[in-house]
Amino acid sequence: MQEIIIGIGVTALAGALAAVAGAAEDTESNIGSQGDPNSQVQLAPQMGYTHRIYNKAVSGEPPAYTLWVTLACGVAWAFLMMGMNAILAIVLASALATFVQGVYATTAYLGRTASLSKFGQPVFIDVLKSVTSVTMGHAFVAIIATVVICYLIATIIGHPFSLPLLGIVWGLALGAAGSATGNPYYGKERQYQNQKFGAGVPISASGNIVRYAEAGQRSSIDNGFFTSKFGGPASGLCFGLIVFLELWRTILFEDALGGWGAIIAGAVIIVIFLIIDRCVESWARKNYGPYTEA
Amino acid sequence: MSAIAAKPAADAGAFRPVASIIAIILAIVLVVIAYFLGNFNLLPGGGVFAIKTLGLIILGAALIAFGVHFVPVGGAPAAMGQAPGIATGVAMLATGAGLAGLFGGAWAAEFGLAVSLVGGAIGGGLMMAITCLMVNMSYVFGMGIPPASGKVEKDPLTGYTQPEFKSQGTEGHGLPFISYVGGVIGGLLGGLGGTLIYYELLEFYNAALPGAGFIFDFVPLSVGIAGIVAVGMFLVIAVLSAYNITGTIEGPHDPKFKRFPRAIVAAILASAACGLVAMLVVMIL
Amino acid sequence: MSVKVEASAGGVPHNTVMIIGALIALVSLYIGIAGNYLLGIDWFAVFGGIAVIGALVWGNSTIKKLCSYGIGTGVPSAGMLAFGAGTAAFIAASAIFCGFAFGIWLVPILTLVLALILGLIFGWIANSVENMKIPVMTRSIAELSAVGAIALAGFALLATGGVDLLSISSAGFIGLDVGSSFLGAGIIAVGFMLGALALQHPFNACLGPGEKQDRTNMLALECGFLSMIVMAVISFVFVSPIAGWISLIVAVLGWIITYAKYVKLSKRDAAAWLDATPFEDKEE
Repeated sequence: MQEIIIGIGVTALAGALAAVAGAAEDTESNIGSQGDPNSQVQLAPQMGYTHRIYNKAVSGEPPAYTLWVTLACGVAWAFLMMGMNAILAIVLASALATFVQGVYATTAYLGRTASLSKFGQPVFIDVLKSVTSVTMGHAFVAIIATVVICYLIATIIGHPFSLPLLGIVWGLALGAAGSATGNPYYGKERQYQNQKFGAGVPISASGNIVRYAEAGQRSSIDNGFFTSKFGGPASGLCFGLIVFLELWRTILFEDALGGWGAIIAGAVIIVIFLIIDRCVESWARKNYGPYTEA
Repeated sequence: MSAIAAKPAADAGAFRPVASIIAIILAIVLVVIAYFLGNFNLLPGGGVFAIKTLGLIILGAALIAFGVHFVPVGGAPAAMGQAPGIATGVAMLATGAGLAGLFGGAWAAEFGLAVSLVGGAIGGGLMMAITCLMVNMSYVFGMGIPPASGKVEKDPLTGYTQPEFKSQGTEGHGLPFISYVGGVIGGLLGGLGGTLIYYELLEFYNAALPGAGFIFDFVPLSVGIAGIVAVGMFLVIAVLSAYNITGTIEGPHDPKFKRFPRAIVAAILASAACGLVAMLVVMIL
Repeated sequence: MSVKVEASAGGVPHNTVMIIGALIALVSLYIGIAGNYLLGIDWFAVFGGIAVIGALVWGNSTIKKLCSYGIGTGVPSAGMLAFGAGTAAFIAASAIFCGFAFGIWLVPILTLVLALILGLIFGWIANSVENMKIPVMTRSIAELSAVGAIALAGFALLATGGVDLLSISSAGFIGLDVGSSFLGAGIIAVGFMLGALALQHPFNACLGPGEKQDRTNMLALECGFLSMIVMAVISFVFVSPIAGWISLIVAVLGWIITYAKYVKLSKRDAAAWLDATPFEDKEE
């Protein structure tokens, strides 16, 4: 019984941390402009639109976050082996991972922008300085929260995987959840704020991203203000639900029916989500109606 | 999905019979090599055990390759609401679901093969169910865009017509119900396949490591090797399958879905080679 | 991605880069092995990092060649494929002749051979079975697998001072606890991800019509030293403190130099280098 109570506590804590991690991850990737929406940032100068948006072409978010989280897990493990206090080890390891993230971010911005010289896109040193530090701050939050989840799973729950292997699993899930949920909101809703609401961006408009802010020229930090109102929390909810439900169903029902209890619980949860999605789709079709052009 | 009028696949989607047969023969040769290595006691557990291990690894890889084709991924255009699907890379999204499944499967390994496998499948399916739901939430409640497919007239599951819900100048957006179901199936198959590979490698190393001189507590080592090799093989299969569908796919109703036999053939040979090399880790010379 | 992938023409030919990179990697691995097994000191672990850098320079050139064809999915996937194949090849190579005294000397060569075989199979699959019809596909995937496997061997040497199964499955000064070893504790996963990102990053980050080979190669060196910093920090668990400090100092110095040079090269190639200056629209 005690084990289950501790397990539920860990589950709740891990779910909450995952929500924080997801929100920070999405905000970070939108401020830095990473992943699929970044193709438009890359495209804009080629279409004649010079801009002051960051160009953090490290890779998709899933591989990038897998690296940051895995390396933080590995370094944290090393510090733990050297006899360091667990909290200090995780903080220092996350700081090192954040440093690596910052270096990757700057080299990507410099590299991509320098390769666009043909189209007259300049390198803005002030953008480099201000945006990199802000993305590093958000990345630190995302990394440390995920490393703590992995640490809790490895030590208290006793999953057979070692800390870095858990880092690969949850770093990848974090990046996948954050990019899947957050990318469209940044790519469609923010980059193409000048396009019609409630419709996709026409392919002919590609590259014509919004480059001016309420006052002056838009920098990537302005994108963080915007996406942290919906894209960030939605990504946080996504990753939080994944971590929470995955742990919850296993800890509560693992011993029921010789292991099958957790499976039945998981299947029921999947069916519930299936029904919710069906309702969301029907609701959208009923309330938004068809586009009149078609 | 044959009932849906689909555009005829281009040459890029054509099945290559000769190359496929060669690939299958090569895979069989590799399995036979595994058998003889086991029979001459170079691999522990004898020939049948070696065949069983490698055969189930191949089965797991084929499941992964099949599963990747279900996952609706739109890539960069999806991030602008220009194409349906999830706005990220297909290989990494499928791997994310598969590894979430592997996490559940490895956790349940103590309950035996069946629970571990189904547990892994449910883990992967759960991850995709939540992710796909949040994608649709983001489109519907964040951007006011209803889901619409660009490849079919009607959703084969719900019967919802699609073209009039497609905004002008785009190929569709969001995840129609068929894509959602495809995503969940993809996660289930990915989790199942990944867990199968991991479980077989774990059994194999657990049986073999004592013979290689590890008399201490060797389980962390076999978990470590089996875990990283399973992750590596999952990535290889997922990337090869992503190459097969050239990056984006809408789900099981997409004409590109019909290319899956090629990816399964590819996965069979790739996993036979990779699995045999992974088994050589505990070869006794 | 809707951006057309363009690679710079000219510069040092790919074959030359490949031979230089492969030689640096293999020679470094052998120096490290010789130091540890002939002289009995693990100070030569730092050469593992050099081997990683050599492999990355080679792989970076290969990725540039492969991805200039447009492979349908992003550049990063190639790095993942490379290390996925490299993992099995390296672990198997480290283990097969582990029972023999001469076994350690075969590990680098065996790693290369096994990875090349796996890579050839994968490349042939992608090109023939999956009908991708990219002329350099088979060779490129084979090269990338070899790069992945050698880089993992380099990371193992850097972290533990050895490349055979005994080194990577025992836990340095802590003793025979396999759970705290390079393999058992999953540190190989850190090497996997460090290498996979460092392999794809230079070309991916410098992508565009103004890509220059010297700048991309400098970034490959920079990524290599950056990865080396992380692995050098972890290596303190496995190797003697002196070896750890040697690796860490070399990595940090190398990183500072290459990063500064990379920034300088970016400044050279950029259209303009502005600080707190707004852009001016051409048409408006």
